[in-house]
Amino acid sequence: MLLPRIAPSFRAASNSASRAARSPCSACTASTRPTTTAQRPRSPPILNFVRNAHHKSEGRANGPKQGPGKRLGAKKTGEQYVIPGNIIFRQRGTQWHPGENVGIGRDHTIFALEPGYVKYYRNPDLHPKRRYIGVVLQRNDVLPRPPNATRHRRLGMIAVPRIDPDTTAISELESDALAGIPSLPTAHEAVSSGTATDPSLSKTSTYAALQPREHYRAANWEIGRAPDRAAESGTGPERQRVSPHKFVKKDRFAALKARKARAAKIAEKRGAMGQRGPKGKDKKKRRRGR
Amino acid sequence: MPIGSRRRRAAAAVGGNVPFEQLPYQCFQEARKVLQADREEKVRLIDVERQRIARLEAQEPFPGTPAQKQLRLQSMRKHVEYLKVQADINDPMVKKIFEDGKGDMSKPVYRHLADRKWRSYRRLLIMQRIIQMNVVPDLLPHIDPVIDLSISFRGKTAHPGDFVESTLSEEAPILKIQPFDRGERLVTIAVVDPDVPVAEEDTFKHRCHFLACNVRISPTSPMVKLADLDQESQVVHSWLPPFAQKGTPYHRLAVFVLQQPGLERVDLEVANSKAAQRDGFYLRGFATRHRLAPTGVGLFRTQWDEGTAGVMHRAGVEGADIEFKRKRIEPMPYKRKDGSRFR
Repeated sequence: MLLPRIAPSFRAASNSASRAARSPCSACTASTRPTTTAQRPRSPPILNFVRNAHHKSEGRANGPKQGPGKRLGAKKTGEQYVIPGNIIFRQRGTQWHPGENVGIGRDHTIFALEPGYVKYYRNPDLHPKRRYIGVVLQRNDVLPRPPNATRHRRLGMIAVPRIDPDTTAISELESDALAGIPSLPTAHEAVSSGTATDPSLSKTSTYAALQPREHYRAANWEIGRAPDRAAESGTGPERQRVSPHKFVKKDRFAALKARKARAAKIAEKRGAMGQRGPKGKDKKKRRRGR
Repeated sequence: MPIGSRRRRAAAAVGGNVPFEQLPYQCFQEARKVLQADREEKVRLIDVERQRIARLEAQEPFPGTPAQKQLRLQSMRKHVEYLKVQADINDPMVKKIFEDGKGDMSKPVYRHLADRKWRSYRRLLIMQRIIQMNVVPDLLPHIDPVIDLSISFRGKTAHPGDFVESTLSEEAPILKIQPFDRGERLVTIAVVDPDVPVAEEDTFKHRCHFLACNVRISPTSPMVKLADLDQESQVVHSWLPPFAQKGTPYHRLAVFVLQQPGLERVDLEVANSKAAQRDGFYLRGFATRHRLAPTGVGLFRTQWDEGTAGVMHRAGVEGADIEFKRKRIEPMPYKRKDGSRFR
C-alpha cells in the first residue's frame, strides 16, 4: 500500500534531477535527494498517523459563559404599596403584561402609574394565556374586574384659587354675549390687558394689530416712531431727527468734512482729559494725548 | 367628426331633456328590461307572501302554540321587507336619487341604503371613539347602536370625540336622530358628563347636562332641536352648557338616545326623582329603572378655554375661580439597611 505512494516521490526526484540542469539554485538539493531515498531500508515502514488533540477556540461549540446577572425579576410583590414610577418587574420580553394603572417600558419593565397596591393576575376574557400586573387604588380591590364594570379612577388633583380670575374679562364677555357674538379681543382690550404699559406709547398702541405670533401689540415701526410723535404733541423732549441727509458715496467733500469734524471732536475730548490729568495711564498714552 | 355612437349623437341633438329611462342606448334599454322583469317577479313574490300571511292569520285552529304562530308571522313579515328592498335595489334611478341625497326615508329601499352607508363608516367611527374613550363601560355596560346620531352646534357638526369650544356649546345642540326601521317611537335623550372632579373625595362623578323623555322620532322626521322641546311634557333637565374647570382633564360629553319600550311614556314626576338629579346622575340606573334600551350614541369633548369663565358665569355655575393642580405624591422612604452588612 505504501509502495505506490513512495514511487511518485522517486519520480519526482528523478524529474527534479533532470530539471536541476536548468535551475542552478536547486541543483544542490536535487543532487542529494536521490541518494537518501536509495539508502532507505526496504523493511515495512512504521505507520504513525497521529491525530493530535485539538479544540476549537471559537464558535458555537463553546457555549456562552456565565455572564454577570442582569438583576431581573419582581421588584415588588403582590399587594405591596407603590407610587407612580416605581418599578414592579424587570424582564426580558413580556413574561408579564401591563394591566390596570401600569405602564411598560422600552425594555419591557413594568412600572406603576398610580399610587396603589400591586396585583398579579390573569384575565381570560382579555387573553387566555397572558399574565398581567396591575395596580389597584384600594387594597381589597380584585383584579380582573368583571367585564363591562365601570373603571375606578382617582382625580389626583387639588383645587386651588385660579391665578388670574379676570372679572373684567367676564363682564366684557357678558356684554358680547348680549350681542350674541363671541368676539376676539380688540386692540383696545389688548392695551387694557397690559400689552402697552408705557404711557408714552399709548398713542402708538391704537395701531395694535394681530402680529405673526398671534398676539396683539403695536408693530415695531410704530414703536420706533413713538418719540417723534411725543415731540410733535409736546409731551416728550425735543428730539433730533435721525440722519436728515442721505449718504452719497461719491460726495468726497462731505466725507472730508465729516472726518475733520470727527477728528476735532476726538481732539477736544482728549484735551478735556488732559486737563483733568491722566489717571493710571502709561507715559506713552499720556504723551499721545497731548 | 362628432364623438359617440349614432344613437348618442341623436340624443345629443334632441337635447338634455330626454328622461333617464328613455335614453336611446340599446344596451341600456335591454338591461332595463331585465331589471324590470326582475322587479315584476319580486312584486309577485311580495303578493304571494302577503296572501300567505293573511291565510296564516286567519287560520284558527293553528297546529302549535300562539308563540310559534307569532314567530312565523314575524319571520314572514321580515321576508316581505327583504323582498321590498330587493325589488328596487337594482334600479339605477334609485341609486342615483340616493346618491344625490334625495332618498325618501319612508321607503324601505332608501332606509336600507342609508343604513348600509352608515354602517360602512360612521358607525365604525363612533364605536371606535366610545371604546377608546371608555364611554362604554363608564356610562353604560354595553351598547349596540342602530340609530345614526349626529350633533351640531350653531350649524357646525361636532364629529365623534371633537373638542367643542365652550362658547359654541353654550346653546343646546340640534340632534339628527336617524332610525333605519319603519315607524315612530318615543326616545329619551340624555347628555352626561362623567368627568366631574370632586376634590374632597379625590374622584370623578357624573353630571347630567340634559335629559328629555318622550321625544317622538321617525325615519322621516329625524331632526330634534333640544331647545325647542316641551318643558312640561318632555324636558327633565334643561340644557346646562358643558364646562371644564381649569386644570381638569378633558370632559367627555356623551349623548345617548334610549328607546322607550313600545310607545310607553315616561312619567316625568318619576323621572325627576331624587335619583335623577343633575349631580351624581347615573345613566345605568336610570336606564334600568325606566326599561330604556340604548340605541344611539354621540360624543364630544370640552376643556378649559378663554370662554369657559364667561359661560360658567352666565349659566350661574360657581367654580370658575378654582383651578385644579396635580397633587404631590409623597416619595416612599428609603429602607434603612443593616449597617453590619456594609463591610
